[in-house]
Amino acid sequence: MSFLALMRWLEATPERYDSGMQAITLGRVAQLHEAVAREAVPRPGCDVLEIGCGTGAVTERLVRRGAHVTALDQSAQMLEQAKLRLMSAGNAEIDWLEQTASEIDALPRAAFDSVVLSLCLSDMSTSERHYVLSQSRERLRPGGRLIVADEVRLRGATRVLQSLIRAPQWLAGWLLAGSVSHPLKNLRAELEASGFEVRHEQQWLAGTLALFIGEPGK
Amino acid sequence: MIALLKDVLQTAFRMAPWPTEPGLRTIGNPGRKSPVLLTANYDLTVRRLERALRGLDAWLLVAPAGGINVWCAAAGGHLTTHQVVTVLKTSGIDQLVDHRNLVVPQLAATGVEDLAVFRRARWRVRFGPARAEDIPDYLAAGGKKSDAMRRVTFPLRDRLEVAAAWATPIGILVTVAALLLQPAWTLPLLALSTGLAVTVFTALDRLPGGGRWWIAAAGVLVSLLCVTLSGGGTAAMVACIGAPIGFTALLTFDYAGSTPLEGSGGFDGQDWQITLDAERCIGLYRCWEVCPQACYEKIEGEARVDLAHDERCVRCGACIVQCPRDALYFEDGEGQRIEPETIRRFKLNLLGRRSIQVGDEPEA
Repeated sequence: MSFLALMRWLEATPERYDSGMQAITLGRVAQLHEAVAREAVPRPGCDVLEIGCGTGAVTERLVRRGAHVTALDQSAQMLEQAKLRLMSAGNAEIDWLEQTASEIDALPRAAFDSVVLSLCLSDMSTSERHYVLSQSRERLRPGGRLIVADEVRLRGATRVLQSLIRAPQWLAGWLLAGSVSHPLKNLRAELEASGFEVRHEQQWLAGTLALFIGEPGK
Repeated sequence: MIALLKDVLQTAFRMAPWPTEPGLRTIGNPGRKSPVLLTANYDLTVRRLERALRGLDAWLLVAPAGGINVWCAAAGGHLTTHQVVTVLKTSGIDQLVDHRNLVVPQLAATGVEDLAVFRRARWRVRFGPARAEDIPDYLAAGGKKSDAMRRVTFPLRDRLEVAAAWATPIGILVTVAALLLQPAWTLPLLALSTGLAVTVFTALDRLPGGGRWWIAAAGVLVSLLCVTLSGGGTAAMVACIGAPIGFTALLTFDYAGSTPLEGSGGFDGQDWQITLDAERCIGLYRCWEVCPQACYEKIEGEARVDLAHDERCVRCGACIVQCPRDALYFEDGEGQRIEPETIRRFKLNLLGRRSIQVGDEPEA
C-alpha cells in the first residue's frame, strides 16, 4: 500500500523500475501518471516543466498529449532510460536537463504553462521542497498550474496501519538500495506556504497517494 | 543523557542510516565572514561535528545524503555535487555570508567535484581535514592542512566502534537462533560472536599472513571444544555443522568498506590498480590533497606527483575524480582500463561494487 521504500531499490535499477512500480501499486501508478499528464496538458502545444522525470513514464504521456516538455532529473541513469523510452515517441520536443530540482532557478521566469512534480517531493528535505515549490511558482505563466503527485501520510488510526505496512518495506528499501524516504506529512499546507492555492485534490490506494493541483495565489 | 543513549544506539546500529533534517545550522554566533562547513545528514556525524566545533562561530550546511556517513555516502553516490548544489541553493546561505568559500570534508572528495560545484552554484570548494576533530586547528591555520590532517588512520577507538557495529546485528541473530534451538548456549555464543568481532577488527590486519589462518585455526578449536563440552547429542551436531560454516564465512568475507584499510572491490571484484599517466600530470597536486592514505608524493621543482605508495591505496577513487587532467585511472593486470568519467558517474553500491560491468561503460 505504501511503496516508496521499494521505489528506492527500483531507482537503483532503472531498467526494472517501471514494471516494478506497476506491480507494487497494483497498477495504480499508471492511473496516477495518466491523471498527472491530463491535468498538466490542458491543450496541445503548451510548455511543461517536469521536475524529477525518472524513467519518463509521465514525460511520455505529456508528449503524447502534444506538450513541449522540459524534463529534469539528477540521475544520469534514469535520464538514459527516459531517453530510450521517448525515442519511440518520434521527434518529440523535449529538453533533457541532468540537474537537481533546485537548479530550476536558472530557467527563465514565467516560461511554463504547467510544472509537474510526480513522486519526487518526498525525496526532498523541508527546505528543499519549499525552495523548489517557490521557484516553480516563478516559472509559471499567468494562469499556469502546478501538478503534484506523491505519497502522503495518513492521519489517526490508519497511520499506525500505514506505518506497520511500511516498516518491512522501509527495511527492504534500505537493505537493497541503502536509502529511505518518508511520506509527506502535510503537503497541502506546504503548497500553500509556498504561495499556491490548492484547486483540486484526488486520492488513490486508500489515500496514501495524492494528486494536488495548485495555482499561484495572490 | 539522551545524547549518550543516542551515541550508544547509533554506534551499535551504525550500518543503518540515521538521517537528520538537512539544511542550515549554526555553530556559536556566526556572522557574515564566518566559515561555512558542510557535512552529510548522518545524525551521529552531525552531533559529533557540533561537539568538535564547540567554541567556534561557523555556519554548518547539512547536505541530504540519505542519512549515511560522509565517506560511504560520497563513495555510494549519496553525497555528490548534486547534494552540495542543492543545500547551497535551498538553505539561503547566499544571503548570510559575504564570501563564497565552502569547506567540505576531505572524504567527500570521492563524490563531490569541486569544479562542478563552482560552475553550478558559484561556490569554491576547499577539501578540509579528514577528521572533524582537526577542523578547529585547520581553521585557525587559515585553511592549511597538515599531512596528519589528510591521513585516515584506524585507531583502537574506531576499531572497537566497527566491532560493535558488526557484533550487534550478529549478536541479535545468534541470540534469536540460540533461544529457539538451545537456550543454555545463548550467553556463550553471544560472548563468542562478540569476541570474534573485536578480534577481527582489532587484530586481523596486524597478524602475520593477514590473520585468516588464525581464524581457520580458531574455527577448528571451537568445533572441537563444542563437541567435547556438549558430550554428544543434537547440540553437538548443530555446533559441528554451524561452527565450520560460521568460520568459513569469516574467512571468505569481504570486509571492504568496514575499515579504512580494506579497499573497495571496484568493478567485478577484479584486481584494479590505481595508475598514473605521468605524461598527463602537470603537478596540480589535487590527488595529493585528497588522498586519505598519503599514496602520493610531490616532486618539488618538477611540477608532477609520484605514486610512491600505491600499496596503501584503498581504491576510493577520490584522486581519479579530482584530477582535472584525467591523469589517473584504474587498470588491471591485462591493461584493461576504467576511465575517470566512469568513476565520476557510477558510484559504489552497498557491496562496494560499481553498478556497471566493465565492457558496458558509456562513451565518456
